[in-house]
Amino acid sequence: MYGYWGKILRVNLSTGEIKTEEFGEDFVKKWLGTRGFGIHYLLKEMDPKVDPLSEENKMIFSTGALTGTTAPTGGRYMVITKSPLTGYIAMANSGGFFGAELKMSGWDAIIVEGKSDKPVYLRIEDDKVEIKDASHIWGKRVGETERILTEEFGDKHVQIASIGPAGENLVKFAAIMNNGHRAAGRGGVGAVMGSKKLKAIVVRGHKRVEVIDKSKFISVVREKTEKLKNDPVAGSGLPSFGTAVLVNIINQNGLYPTMNFRYGQFEYAEEQSGEAMAKKYLKRNKPCYACPIGCGRVNDMDTVGETEGPEYESTWALGANLGINDLASIIEANHLCDDLGLDTISTGGTLATAMELYDKGLLKQDDLGDAPPFRWGNTEVLHYYISKLAKREGFGDVLAEGGYRLAEKYGCVDCFMGVKKQELPAYDPRGAEGHGLGYATDNRGGDHIKAYLISPEILGYPYKMDPHDISDDKVKMLILFQDLTAVIDAAGMCVFTTFGLGADDYRDLLNAAFGFDLSTEEWLKIGEKIWNAERLFNLKAGLKPLEEDTLPKRLTDEPMPEGPNKGHVVRLKEMLPRYYALRGWKEDGTIPEEKLKELGLEEYI
Amino acid sequence: MVRVKFFATLRDITGKREMEIKNVKNVAELLQRLYEMFGDEFRKEIERRNMILVNGKNILDMDGYETEIKEEDEISIFPPAGGG
Ligand code: SF4
Repeated sequence: MYGYWGKILRVNLSTGEIKTEEFGEDFVKKWLGTRGFGIHYLLKEMDPKVDPLSEENKMIFSTGALTGTTAPTGGRYMVITKSPLTGYIAMANSGGFFGAELKMSGWDAIIVEGKSDKPVYLRIEDDKVEIKDASHIWGKRVGETERILTEEFGDKHVQIASIGPAGENLVKFAAIMNNGHRAAGRGGVGAVMGSKKLKAIVVRGHKRVEVIDKSKFISVVREKTEKLKNDPVAGSGLPSFGTAVLVNIINQNGLYPTMNFRYGQFEYAEEQSGEAMAKKYLKRNKPCYACPIGCGRVNDMDTVGETEGPEYESTWALGANLGINDLASIIEANHLCDDLGLDTISTGGTLATAMELYDKGLLKQDDLGDAPPFRWGNTEVLHYYISKLAKREGFGDVLAEGGYRLAEKYGCVDCFMGVKKQELPAYDPRGAEGHGLGYATDNRGGDHIKAYLISPEILGYPYKMDPHDISDDKVKMLILFQDLTAVIDAAGMCVFTTFGLGADDYRDLLNAAFGFDLSTEEWLKIGEKIWNAERLFNLKAGLKPLEEDTLPKRLTDEPMPEGPNKGHVVRLKEMLPRYYALRGWKEDGTIPEEKLKELGLEEYI
Repeated sequence: MVRVKFFATLRDITGKREMEIKNVKNVAELLQRLYEMFGDEFRKEIERRNMILVNGKNILDMDGYETEIKEEDEISIFPPAGGG
């Protein structure tokens, strides 16, 4: 086979058994890769009701169809498992170089099962796979873990995906990190790894990923790369200022969530903007594998030295959402989250929940003792509580459970700004209502990257849509974005390519690599299948659609108090039934059997 | 007085973060004035793609370049930009 080796590595940490399994082209045509492969195995082999942190939960580390090829941004991998944060599907995506290296080692995916009773790591050097003792690195932070394992391996080209103390301590929003600062961030996938006592996967590969017709593939890659380079956003906007260029854009558009989504504009946004960061701290850009865009930022600070990021999301989560304006503190906090192995969005969202509870007098200083008060804008909160929650020390143990459980404990579930128990990202949907429908229906809970409607509603890609239009056109656009993103994820490419590429471009790349002749519609059908299969998993795990495909009350019932979106709420109730209908689902949000059959999912019912 | 704010690369081109301008009745007229002031480099950056907001509202959701500008309005101009 081309593009893939047709080889899956299955590792059982309870028994120590290591097996090889094979798949053929049919499997690729059915599931494409990453999320597709992952959801297939979870639905086939696991009861969706299992405890996410038990040995019954499985983790799939999977490359995508174009991972390891020269396709632009074709270096990504995903981790698919049941999330301890949401109780539903988690599919976390990461860039850097780990995914490509995994493919080059001759393995397309790894299925991790069971649970080790002592800390271990997985060492892969091409065909040679070993489970090794990790007691000497257990407790170490990500940077140090990578340093030690690289040294032990004796090859600086080795790639490592690991967890930090947060994952080890089962923090519900712990991430899996690679290349120091690249994160398979959301849904607590790091905690699942920690529950299995799997500290890291270390991989080195010397194989070359082949495509069916090399010269054809090269010419398609060249054409798409040119397209990206000539695109004003992918070719110059993102490389110049990184994702944080959005701070000013989103703030000026009046949907930059401020102080736990109370307001849509932050007075000091300018001070934490991409422009400010570039002026003060930027050292250079850092692209992921085979990426012509290079949005990654390397910043230099006296306190932490060279570090990467923060991205737009992290800048906001550790800044405006807490009322914090000081950029230096934000960069340091971001560095700390990376090194401890934490998802920055959920970390910030949880701290924001605490601030809201404190402000309302529900969380009292007595509950915190001598620890810093959760006052809006108090930068001391960042370093202090991030360190504590990663170790589950003191009040950090409560924070480690995430914003939802924190809000519930203090009797104010409405103080939590999230969906399906996952903290929301950096766009107030009262300023982009289609994006709000995206939050409510996302299979992994509060999330922006599985259907980025900010693109048409605010940025104008592929064309501008009114952010307050909630017609069927908007709902259809969301569905298209959800399905197309599933294809891009499964292809192993970065979603930022969508600024320069359209659905036909991904079709061309995939067909050229595999020698398939699928139409754009057929590829999108695979995306639709992935989306529905993930939904099926959630339904089997106990999802109650009408109660949980929802948004925090603040966004549906409290009009935006000021700014360009003043007076607006998200009219979710008007959109959701139409979303279900246009998806071909029942009125109660479940998937009818005919739909599952149409998508070829009958064997998973 | 209309307040005009520049972002990203436009700050380097204009050498300003913001400025005030008088007597412009719509966005087209404003851009014309800015082209005269800041020359071809500015024009090229804007013509590739842009985002123009009048009081935080995108002109593409209003009357495009014909969108009216009133005294006291705040105009934000961005070069092509995106992220996620
Ligand atoms: S666009 Fe940014 S995140 Fe995406 S692959 Fe390139 S450098 Fe990585």
